[in-house]
Amino acid sequence: MSETVLDKEPKILVIATHACSYPGIDNAGQGHLEYPASVFVIRVPDPVLFPVDFYLKVFEMGYDGILIASCGTDSPYKKSYEKLSKRIDEVYKAMKEKGIDISRLKLTAICTVCAEHYVKEVREMYEKLKAMKAQAS
Amino acid sequence: MEKFDAVIVGGGIAGMQAALDLGDQGYKVLLLEKQASIGGTMIQLSKVFPTLDCASCITTPKMSAVSSHENITLWTLAEPKKIEPNGDRFKVTVFQKARYVNEKDCTGCGECEQACPVIIYDDGYDESLGPTKAVGVPFATAMPQKAVLHDDYCIFCGKCARACPTDAIDFTQRDKEIEVDAGTVILATGFLQTPTIKEEYGGGRFKNVITGKQMDRILAPTSPFGGVYRPGDGKIPDSIAFVQCAGSRDKSIGVPYCSAVCCMYAIKQATLLSAALPLADITIYYMDIRTFGKGHEEFYEQAKAMGVNFVRGKVAKIKEKEDGNLIVRVETFGEDGRIEEFEHDLVVLSLGLVPQWYPKGIVNVDIDETTKFIKLIKPMTDPTLTSMPGIFVAGTAGGPKDIVESIISGSAAAMKAAEWLNGKLRDAFFAKELDVKQVTN
Amino acid sequence: MSQRTQENEEPRVGVFVCHCGGNISDVVDVEKVAKTISKDPRVKYATHFMFMCSDPGQNMVAEKIKELKLNRVIVAACSPKLHELTFRKVVAKSGLNPYFYEHVNIREQDSWVHSHEPEKATEKAIRLIEGAIERLTRQNPLKPGKKKTVPHALVIGGGVAGLTAALELARRDIPVTLVEKSPFLGGRVTQIDNIYPTGEDGKDLVDDLIQKVLKNDLITVRTNTEVVDASGSIGDYQVTLKITPRGVEEDVEGLDKAIEICPISVDNEFDYGTTKRKAIYKPYPKAVPNLPAIDWNTCTRCGECLKATNNKGINLNPEFKEDTIRVGAVVMATGFKPYEPLPGEYGYGEDPNVITLPQLIRIMENMDPNSKEFIYNGRKIKKIAFIHCVGSRQIEGVHTPKEGKELNTYCSRVCCSTTLWAANRLKKRFPDIHMFDLYRDIRTYQFYEDIYEEASRNNVVFVKFPDEEIPQVKIVKDDKGLFRIETTDILLRGKTVAVPADLVVLAVGIEPNPIRDLIEIFSIPYGSGGFLLEGHPKLRPVESSMEGIFLAGTAQAPMSIQETIIAATAAAGKAATILTKPEIELSPFVASVNLDKCEGTGRCVQECEYNAIELKEANGGKKAVIDPSLCAGCGACVPVCPNRAITLEGYDIDQILAQVEGMLKGVKAE
Repeated sequence: MSETVLDKEPKILVIATHACSYPGIDNAGQGHLEYPASVFVIRVPDPVLFPVDFYLKVFEMGYDGILIASCGTDSPYKKSYEKLSKRIDEVYKAMKEKGIDISRLKLTAICTVCAEHYVKEVREMYEKLKAMKAQAS
Repeated sequence: MEKFDAVIVGGGIAGMQAALDLGDQGYKVLLLEKQASIGGTMIQLSKVFPTLDCASCITTPKMSAVSSHENITLWTLAEPKKIEPNGDRFKVTVFQKARYVNEKDCTGCGECEQACPVIIYDDGYDESLGPTKAVGVPFATAMPQKAVLHDDYCIFCGKCARACPTDAIDFTQRDKEIEVDAGTVILATGFLQTPTIKEEYGGGRFKNVITGKQMDRILAPTSPFGGVYRPGDGKIPDSIAFVQCAGSRDKSIGVPYCSAVCCMYAIKQATLLSAALPLADITIYYMDIRTFGKGHEEFYEQAKAMGVNFVRGKVAKIKEKEDGNLIVRVETFGEDGRIEEFEHDLVVLSLGLVPQWYPKGIVNVDIDETTKFIKLIKPMTDPTLTSMPGIFVAGTAGGPKDIVESIISGSAAAMKAAEWLNGKLRDAFFAKELDVKQVTN
Repeated sequence: MSQRTQENEEPRVGVFVCHCGGNISDVVDVEKVAKTISKDPRVKYATHFMFMCSDPGQNMVAEKIKELKLNRVIVAACSPKLHELTFRKVVAKSGLNPYFYEHVNIREQDSWVHSHEPEKATEKAIRLIEGAIERLTRQNPLKPGKKKTVPHALVIGGGVAGLTAALELARRDIPVTLVEKSPFLGGRVTQIDNIYPTGEDGKDLVDDLIQKVLKNDLITVRTNTEVVDASGSIGDYQVTLKITPRGVEEDVEGLDKAIEICPISVDNEFDYGTTKRKAIYKPYPKAVPNLPAIDWNTCTRCGECLKATNNKGINLNPEFKEDTIRVGAVVMATGFKPYEPLPGEYGYGEDPNVITLPQLIRIMENMDPNSKEFIYNGRKIKKIAFIHCVGSRQIEGVHTPKEGKELNTYCSRVCCSTTLWAANRLKKRFPDIHMFDLYRDIRTYQFYEDIYEEASRNNVVFVKFPDEEIPQVKIVKDDKGLFRIETTDILLRGKTVAVPADLVVLAVGIEPNPIRDLIEIFSIPYGSGGFLLEGHPKLRPVESSMEGIFLAGTAQAPMSIQETIIAATAAAGKAATILTKPEIELSPFVASVNLDKCEGTGRCVQECEYNAIELKEANGGKKAVIDPSLCAGCGACVPVCPNRAITLEGYDIDQILAQVEGMLKGVKAE
């Protein structure tokens, strides 16, 4: 099988929320803002759903980065952001233990009209991961 | 006589919304649409402000929902000939034009259109910009997906009938009148673009002076040109001008009011154009920019940031050059207001909104003397009420509105109609009311 | 049609790729996508089509399900926000479980954002679809529960929007509780004494509505009442109300006297601070309820008022009560407040003759009707300058935001017409008055244009100032006037002009009433300016994305009275669609417990913020039990379970991991 155009690219998993960031990411599309194509979005009610090992498995699988596009404090679910932040601290701890560079994971908040903010976040992470990849090889 | 809870006149976005709301609440609705397809003006549009979602993506699901709704009966090519009170209900005489195509058999395959030798440019879906035939499915997303034969253009050669794989063409069909009984009526008859193009702007003779709706067709994914070209010679325009208030705020053409949507649609078109033609100069000549709706001012600011050029001034005259370019003469305002001339290769007239349908002779509702829209008898407290109890108005039939406002007013009219059918609104009109009770605390 | 038992069948996936009339296919090679994805052995059919959402598109899906016995369907098209539901319905109509459908977003999140990289966008589409296949082939058939609706609506706000919504709902036989935070009904419209186009007094307009509401047996009106807590969800909310006692309990003799002798004097909010009122007060003689009320924030309980009523009718130490009601839907009609200029903004607060437009309207009503001259603050007003867009259309770098707030970038819609309507009225009453109108754009839209025309006929002098320049209001007290306003006039080709004035009127914008507490209680999304956000501007224009919450009037955006009433009627209609039915379908995306794995640790019970989980005796031990009508579907309970006994339906962790892996691997074309 031949190599495809996305194979070499650093791959980013974006965890988006129904209420805020998914529409926000759509908004970037409506505004025809451009960002790297190796960004893959999944949509959940709230990232608070995921246990620590979920993130580790995603890295093991081969993703270079994970961007958690949460609702921040605007989450429609009570206290979920508080809980999510605590969980991500645990994930960072686990990453350090396993020797995974913690800059490969970022928790951010994207609102329904935060298109430009989103594009900035993914571009930044993409550039960082690209540099990291280049260094490694 | 077939019986319905509600008859809704007009299958544009307001009428469809009213039909869906009533249908969802269990009422039996008859929706009358004059054209061969529902969808109204909105289905013709490219993208819609201020979110720039594609018009078709919002409209087609609604069209689809209307046509598959168990409580909604849809009659196309149909309009009321007479609406009369009948006891506490209404008798509606419906005039339905012959389709000359058997709807049950037609599969919408388009073979008839291929076979038809008659090419016409009419002011239908493509606003005279693209060719259609004397027979065919009106447009790709039409609902119902059935062909229609236009008897005013047809030369009765029979080629379509021979081409039709299901023998659906039926020249023996005749226009008909059908009487139905209805509990309430909603008028959602919509608007037309200002029909008069002023002599100063070429009176409709300049090939590269187009209307706002034509620009929207050109920008649509289903564009008759397949891209942004000027109609005169197919050249890609690189200097485009919009003339605001070309059909509004002007007593000389009988439209003294502001049409409320032209600023936004022009800015939207300018935004889409600057994405399609990044190098083109785009200028909007305006008197006042009226971006007053939710998210509209921000949209205007975005367009300015994208480089759309806003010039305040009244366009006094447009002249056509031999190469098809236009000289636009602009009056700036004030004591020492100057007159300046600019050359553009495409000019869009941001025409206004006038009522599409006049109730005179059909139904006894009052119209507003100055604006000619259906008169709202309680504009502040009950803005869906006409002068006839039990008949309601939705969308632009009652005055210029944007899409969001039309949809909301469709829902509001449906609610009032439901109250009427429930008897409660009628009580409020005619019956004595009860004593006032105490307010808790 | 009965549902086939697809869960036991081997997956047979159909993939439909939409062109969206070029929106997708101009970038993504849709043919290649369909061809490549068909190499996945689970895919039994893959195609591409111009408009999947059109009727022929939908019919194609239905036909292929039947013809090829497909049991899983994927449409790759626009955002699921637009058409996920459309295709779920198609799939359901074809006899499949509606959740055996995945909507893949290859427009907003692919073709529109990678338009310069068509090859990459095409591969991304393939990978996204492959992820969807992995996810879908692990999907359980979901069956949404049903929930009985409480046929009762709560309307929050007693202005025109709330009154209208309540009345419309009652006319559909739905009982309504209308709560108003202040002691009196009517809202902002009562503060406008003359309304376009008829000149009707807002108090009369509102009173007509109020009388209809009060006469309706299905509506319970509660003034001085606030929502302080709520639980539950669409169809059944338990709402806690806090009732502030009125203080005046009976209509006894001497109440007018009581108001007169009350020693407390505070700014009268009804007149926007241009007059004073007492701690026991009534905003205007015909206010409803017609009993005065006591303002507990300023009342010192001195007892003077009781002297006037012979110790009757007034209770200065009443009980503050709470009450709980159950409702199926909530209409938010919480209204607006005028923008309060910053100290010093256009001289506001520096000289009493700089006032706001709402203040001017109150001053005009309170003016001596026989006066031939406009006297304000002891000064005869000969020249008035109106300044538009105060607190609206604010621009970064030009305007100053309030502390801790963002700029009001929006247009407040009604101020232009309201300003010129007031100017025309002044001109009619005081023909000698000179008026200057400093504006950016005159937005007398629709039929309001005639107000503008009349203002021009009235010789109002219009001065158009540039967007990025603030007119400078200087206090000069010279023979021309009290103020001189220096500004650039675009109409005079950018000349600097000095406008004289005795009174400066600021046409302030509209801000939503501060309802942070309600927004939190009901988890209502809001947008720019703090206005409540609609689910979708065109698909759900009067509904919040939080199900069961409806938006009426200026809590959502600046609106005229007419527009407010239309919105309130529409919102009531949408609420009626739910409340006239005995039950609603619940979201199937709720947490569920695998009882075999559950060891009753109770960790999930602690974690749940919605009291949706309880430990109950089952299978010989304590087990977690989830109430699906209370579960908000956030998934917070899932990761805390040490035994991984909880799954959020539709979002199983292993299923998502499979999807994520599918996107990483994709399907490779040879």
